[in-house]
Parts: sequence; structure tokens; C-alpha cells
Amino acid sequence: MKTNKHVYIIVMLLITGIALTAVFGINADPLKIRGMKDIRFGIDIKGGVEAVFEPSNLDRVPTESELESARAILETRMDAQNILDREITVDKGSGHIIVRFPWKSGETDFDPQKAIAELGETARLTFRDPDGNIIVEGKDVKESKVQLDKRSNQPVVTLEFNDEGAKAFEEATGRLINKPISIYMDETLISSPMVNEKITGGNSIITNMKSTEEAKALSDKINSGALPFSLVSKNHSTITPTMGSGALGVMVKAGVIAFAVVCIFMLVYYRLLGVVACFALLLQIAVQLLALSIPQITLTLTGIAGIILSIGMGVDANVIISERIREELNGGKTLGYSIDTGYNKAFSAVFDGNITTIAASIIMMIFGTGALLSFGYTLMIGCILNFVSGVTASKIMTKSMSMNKVFAKKSLYGLKVKVKEAK
Amino acid sequence: MIKFYSKRKMFFAISFTIMLVGIISLFINGINLSIQFKGGAIIKYSYAGEIDSELAADKASQVLNRDTEVQLTDDLATHSKKLVLNLSGNSGLEAGEQEKLDKALKAEFPEANLELAESNVVEPFIGKRFLIKSLTAIALTSLFIVIYVRFRFKKISGMSAGIIGLIALLHDVLVVFFTFVIFKMPINDSFIAVTLTIIGYSINDTIVIYDRIRENQPYFKKKSFEELVDTSINQTLTRSINTNMATSVSVLIVCILAYIYNIDSIKTFAIPMFIGSVSGCYSTVCLAGPLLVMWHNKKHASAI
Repeated sequence: MKTNKHVYIIVMLLITGIALTAVFGINADPLKIRGMKDIRFGIDIKGGVEAVFEPSNLDRVPTESELESARAILETRMDAQNILDREITVDKGSGHIIVRFPWKSGETDFDPQKAIAELGETARLTFRDPDGNIIVEGKDVKESKVQLDKRSNQPVVTLEFNDEGAKAFEEATGRLINKPISIYMDETLISSPMVNEKITGGNSIITNMKSTEEAKALSDKINSGALPFSLVSKNHSTITPTMGSGALGVMVKAGVIAFAVVCIFMLVYYRLLGVVACFALLLQIAVQLLALSIPQITLTLTGIAGIILSIGMGVDANVIISERIREELNGGKTLGYSIDTGYNKAFSAVFDGNITTIAASIIMMIFGTGALLSFGYTLMIGCILNFVSGVTASKIMTKSMSMNKVFAKKSLYGLKVKVKEAK
Repeated sequence: MIKFYSKRKMFFAISFTIMLVGIISLFINGINLSIQFKGGAIIKYSYAGEIDSELAADKASQVLNRDTEVQLTDDLATHSKKLVLNLSGNSGLEAGEQEKLDKALKAEFPEANLELAESNVVEPFIGKRFLIKSLTAIALTSLFIVIYVRFRFKKISGMSAGIIGLIALLHDVLVVFFTFVIFKMPINDSFIAVTLTIIGYSINDTIVIYDRIRENQPYFKKKSFEELVDTSINQTLTRSINTNMATSVSVLIVCILAYIYNIDSIKTFAIPMFIGSVSGCYSTVCLAGPLLVMWHNKKHASAI
């Protein structure tokens, strides 16, 4: 690897920059990078609610479209309650819908049980005239679909009513030409299309959809009115933010102290190589935080375990390399040779250790839900970074520093350690 | 140089004793499977003043039609008092039912300023699925590691190296498990996280030593396998100690802070992690190496 004697300064400045970005984030329009503060924490850290909803009184697994409609109900209701920072996962195999949302900050009388119970209630879908009179109800809708209108090439939502619904709809559209019909889920307005003409026969379309996604969302919501089941949750957990943030504060404090202790140890024991190791670790932690904050991956307590493990392995990579360089130096080799050989010989151990761990973390991500997923993700990112920071970046820094006269003294790379012979 | 192979009997005795203590405590304490895995409901309230726990239990049983065990905990560090309701049986609880309970308790103790602190309600089949998935992940990870080691370390009789690596892993997983048992901590998702972390540390330690053995092998053709392994362990000993010092001190700091601030979720995570990481280092240095020599010697003895 070609390098010169000043490169280490650039690398160290770069690492400091990345670390500062990870801590504070960047908010200079148009460049916006989320920092540590914006990491999305799991409910076990931040406090919040997790609930698994299942259909009640249904002796079969719900169909995919039924689940989508059920999801649309949950989405609409959570919008109505202004719970926007949520995760809704549909498990098609078992017919469960998993909902996670953080404790609403600043709300003292937030009642999670009530919220969970209300979310699952049967949705009441109504079509109303401008005076608020109900024209038809959700149960009168046979089916709603998304189609592409052939003439305009725009997505439209189709509506098919049963006989009773068709009759009521025909009467209403007759008297409401050029007036809107509002569609409500519970008391939330979800759409308010204009009536263009009297609609007979029970088939109607809603045009003027901005995108297929918008059309799909509306159609799911309309279908939810005819959903043959309500949702119940017998599986839910809540944790208050005071409990959660306590855990987070302690973890952060412990992390800072532990990092300081490790750095002091590395500096005292490995001197110049310790300086390099500290920067390499800083890079690893900073990028790991960015890998969580930028794509907004949820970090749970197990995810923090993954970070701890990968940092441990990062320390290990640095220790292995430093020990190797020392061994060569103690054997009387020149500094440049010792550094090269140290990195080369240490590489296979670092490689095997990290590759096995990366593979293990991928297995966890495939099999795991929630807790395991977060662990696997942080661990995988950490081990990949081990190659970048622990091996490549640290090698560039070490080589470049050793080219400077001030840093060329062997004693800066560690004392000669005499190994005591056992009797 | 420390002669690990000739001291093997001492190491085996130490491990044997640890396992024995673990098994005995397993009989005394039993396995405390968390409701996360077996299903059930635990609801915690913070409160002020005094609460009659029997009255609270009666009220809850009456509302839910289900026996309820009530515990009052007082946290000296944070001065927060908690009312812990533990519902009998393994089934979950509908959110609506829980809301009824909430109202009833608040009506019964209007002065206590009851506030929901934490609730954990799990349907048994969901818990079981989670447990099975987690165990599958652990098993597959272990299997992968054996296969990987088998091929990467072909030169040092890959299969035995893989299996011995696995034995060292199993040793550490058992140590973590017994830590949960001895401290009477419920087996929950932190158990899974800690186990996976320790597997990671332990296999990394083992690989570093195997790597050195592989590297030294060409220079030890004339010498015994025992000498090769002992030399390799000694050469990597500073690394093993330094790395494990760094990691276990870090985890110990987490542990101490968790105790100072009394955060249960971190305690159940940091204590076994600390013990496991010490065990991970020990099992690699003191068990894996000597076992590898034993396997090697046995194979060669039978070949003669």
C-alpha cells in the first residue's frame, strides 16, 4: 500500500469528522444527515407499546386482502390519534398484525390499554352526504379494487355495492350531482369524491387518484368496512418512557466510560499503536451509529449487545495486530518490516473471526424477529467495519506515522516484553 | 511457557465443578422461563403511599376471574414503589380486560396515584414460536461455525477442531445458562442475546488460537503436537488476556452502573455477559487446546 508521511493526519481528521457527524448530525440544507439523537430506539429502550393483533372469532387464517384491510384500519386509526412514528408488520403465515409505537412524548394521560383495545374494534365505514346523513354503510360494499383507467391511464378505485347498497347509492347520486359524497372510517374522513352523474347498477369508480399507492390505500380502507372480523390483542407489552429512558441513559454512560477505559488501556499498553487503535475504534462506533440513524433502523437492547460484541471484536483486531507487530520488533526486525508483517500475519485471524460472526449474524437476521433482528444487524455492520477501520484504516495510519522521524522510535510501539518461562 | 496440556486435568476438574454447581442449582432453583417464552401476564404499576396487596389481589382476581399474585417492591435507589400483578396461567389477556382491571384498581386505590409502569402480556403460542425461532438460530449458527472451521482449518485436522470448538461453545453457553439459574433470572430475550454474543466471543477466541497453530505447524514438524499447541496458546496468551480484559472490564462497567441505577433489564443482560466472556476466554485457552491434543494423540495412538 502506497502512503506518505502526512496521510495519517488526513485519516485522523476524517475520522474525527465522521465521529462528530455521528454525534451531532448534519443539518445544512440540502444536506441532512441524521445523528445519534435521531436514532430510532425500540420500545424496550424508549418506552412504548407492542401489540400482536389477531382476528377474533375467525376459524380460518385471514386472506391477504383481509389482512391488508385490517392493516388499513389500524393505520387510519393511528393517524387519527396522531401516532405517526409506528411500525405495522403483517405476518401473512399466521394472520397476525404486529403493531409497535413509542410512548407519545408529552402526553401524561396516554392510556396504552385503551389505545390497543380501540385500535382493534370493528371499523364503521360510512358514506355520507354533505349534511352528514348516512347513505350507505361499509357492509353494503361488496368489493373495492384498484384498476387502471384505460382512457386516462390513471389509477382508479372501483366500488361494487350489494343490491341494497346499489339502490341507496343510485338515489343519493341522483340528488347529489356536483356535490361530494364523503367516506368516513369511524369519524375520520378518508375521501370525499365529487358526484359527476347518477350511478345505477351498483358499480362506481372514484377517479382523480394521485398514485397507485393512494388508490390502494383508499381501496383497502373501503374494504375494511366489510371485514368479517374485529381484531383482538391478547399479546401486548407496554413500558413507560421513564423506565425506558433510564435504561438508555445508563447504557450511554456505561458506553462512554467503557470506551474511555479501553482507550486508556490501549494507549498505556500499546502507545502509538494504541493511538491508532483508538481512532480505528472511534471510526467503527461512529459509522455503526450512522448505520442505525440514517436508514432509521430500530435499535433495541439486544442491538446494543450486538454493538458491544462488535466493538469487543474491534478491540481484538487491534490487539492481535499490535501484538504481532511487537513480536516482530522484539525479534529484532526493522520497524517498516515489522508493521507490514504484523498486519499480514494478523489478517487471517481477524478475517476468520469476523467472517464467522458475519455469517452468524446473517443467520440471526433470517430467523429472528425483533430482538434477534436488531442484534444481527448491528453485529453484521460492526464486523464489516472491522475490516475497514480495524485493518485498512489502521494500517494506513500506522504506516504513515512510522515514516515520520518523530514516530520512528521502536520504543513508541511498545516495551520489549520478556516472556517468563514456566518451570 | 505455561504447559496447558499437562495441566489439563486441573482445568477439566474446574469445569466439571462449575457444571456440577450449575446442575445442583438447577435442581434447587429450577428453570425460570420468562413469560416472553411460556406466555402469561405481568403488569406493573408505580404507586405512592400504602397499598394493601391482598386487597389488590382480590380485586384483580374478581375483575379478571383469574387468580392473581400481587407483590409490592420498593426500590431503595430510586425510591419508586411498584405494585406487581402476576396473573396465573399462561394465557394472554385481552387489552379490553386489562383496561377494566386498570379502572378497577384505580377506583379501589384512588389515593395511591397508580400509574402503569410496565406490562407484558404474551400468548403462549407466540412465546413458543419466539423460543423455537431463537433456538433454531442458535443451533444453526453453531452448526455453521463447525462446518466453517472444518474447512478453514483442514490442516489441523478440521473436523476435530470444529467439534472441539463446539464443545468450548457449549461450555460457555452452559455457563451463561447456569448464571441465569443461579441468579434466579428469568430466561428471556436477553438470555438469547447474551448466548449469541458469547458464542461470537468464544468462537473468535478459538479461531485466533487455531490460526496460530495452523501458522506454526510447518515449523513444528519434528516436535510433538502437544508442544505445537502449547507454544501457540502461549504466543497468543497476551492477546487473549488483553482482549478479554478490555471486553470484560467494559461489560463490568455496564454491570456496575446497572446496579447503581438498578435497571433490571440491563442487569439480567450484563451479569451473564460478564461471566460468559470470562468463561469464553477460559474455555478456549484451557480447554480447547488440551482437548485438541488429546484428540490428536488418541487418533495417532490408534493408528499405530
